[in-house]
Amino acid sequence: MGRKQLIAIGKAALLVVIAVALQVLVVSRVSVLGVTADLFLIFTVVVAISLGSMHGAVFGFLAGVVADIAFVETLGLRSLIYVLSGYFVGMIVRRFGTVNLWGVFLIAGGASFVAQFLYGLAQYAMGPQAGFFTIVGTQILPETVLDALVTMPVYLLLVRLRVIPAPRVDTGTAGSGAR
Amino acid sequence: MPRNKVAWRRPVFVILILASLALLTVSFREAESGPVHAIQDAGAGLLSPLQSWGAEIAEPFQDGYQWLKTLWSAHQRAQKLEEELQALQGEAIKLEEQAEENQRLRALLDLHPDKGIYPEGTEFTSARVIGKSPTRWQAWVQIDKGSVDGIRVGSPVVGATPTAGESLAGKGLVGKVVSVTEHTAQVQLITDAESAVAAKIQGSRAEGIVEGSVSGDLIMDYVDRDIAVDPKLVIVTSGYGGVYPADIPIGIVASVGEEDVNIYKEIEVQPFVDFRVLEEVMVLILPVETPTTGAVTSTTTTSTTTTITLGSAGR
Repeated sequence: MGRKQLIAIGKAALLVVIAVALQVLVVSRVSVLGVTADLFLIFTVVVAISLGSMHGAVFGFLAGVVADIAFVETLGLRSLIYVLSGYFVGMIVRRFGTVNLWGVFLIAGGASFVAQFLYGLAQYAMGPQAGFFTIVGTQILPETVLDALVTMPVYLLLVRLRVIPAPRVDTGTAGSGAR
Repeated sequence: MPRNKVAWRRPVFVILILASLALLTVSFREAESGPVHAIQDAGAGLLSPLQSWGAEIAEPFQDGYQWLKTLWSAHQRAQKLEEELQALQGEAIKLEEQAEENQRLRALLDLHPDKGIYPEGTEFTSARVIGKSPTRWQAWVQIDKGSVDGIRVGSPVVGATPTAGESLAGKGLVGKVVSVTEHTAQVQLITDAESAVAAKIQGSRAEGIVEGSVSGDLIMDYVDRDIAVDPKLVIVTSGYGGVYPADIPIGIVASVGEEDVNIYKEIEVQPFVDFRVLEEVMVLILPVETPTTGAVTSTTTTSTTTTITLGSAGR
């Protein structure tokens, strides 16, 4: 294993640890319109935007397992959703070739909406009954907006601190409007 | 290298999806004592000190916010309470007479005078809330006491929130313990969509089931349409079902709904406990019934946690 890979693994582990600490210590205690931001998903999206779909999917898997443990939920559910989120966010960024801050906002919002929709479907299948519009209005939409808003400063901060690079896609035409 | 990366992308994605599905399947199919659950419990155990620490750090900020909020509404509440006081003074005289009558009737029924609303031998363990459910799909809190403190799955949990003051408001049923690790426990709140509590309405004697919902509303269902139910009546546990002891306050009747197609009333319940600001709870460790004799024995706790055995001041 090369030095570069070791550094990448170390950074991923560090991000997961930061996500756990921030989620447990701060974010879970700050509720906006009855919902809290999901830092595990936000970090997965940021990694996928910055490093591509494979890194996004791998990070999503790790973050999902840790989130399932932290939230005392069925192991595997969040990892499945975050793997899908990480992979497809990476694919979208690769297809467009570039991403600016509004792009980050939209991608994060879209990823959060889809992730929560999948999570909601799984929950609905497993037990709790809820009206579609009730859950969209009280859970999915507020958290979509909150996650999208929180993603922007998180993304800027991680790029600025050089924890993750600005998006660099395979087409070679990518630039970042985030800086 | 980039070429390899692209080539590896899909297999890695498929492997991760399969790994997630495998975890999900094992998580569902495996017994609670299985290795995956054990790993999850161990992980949750590792995180619990962090959560406790977070709760301690957040406490002054939450208290400050609550203090400001309370100050803001204190003036309006004072006026409202003044009016209520006038009405309650009249009620108090009536209740005093009823209490005397009640005492006489209880003596006739040979009830233990010091029993309170909980079964004799009930022990209480106070616990701090260290985590909350991250979505509205579930409503639970995590507390910093576990099996070493005598907490078992199914133990009822009561609590009080800052709005409590000296009145009944703010104090009431919180939920029940649904999973326990050595030092933490997960409490399903009565507002959880999967929660169902057998309850009765004081004053009308109507009985039904108080159910939670994903939207956070508390609904009392299965109440006969023929029974008159007025708003503001107090709802308490009925004791049926064997989970919650009888007469634990749950909330008050907020509104009463009737639909032509429904043979039951649908009553909206305003819970006494404000679950948004729940910081501490009290777990009731009920005495265990021994199967051979049916005798009731008090549970013992093995840790240094302070437990209070119900005595004359049972409430």
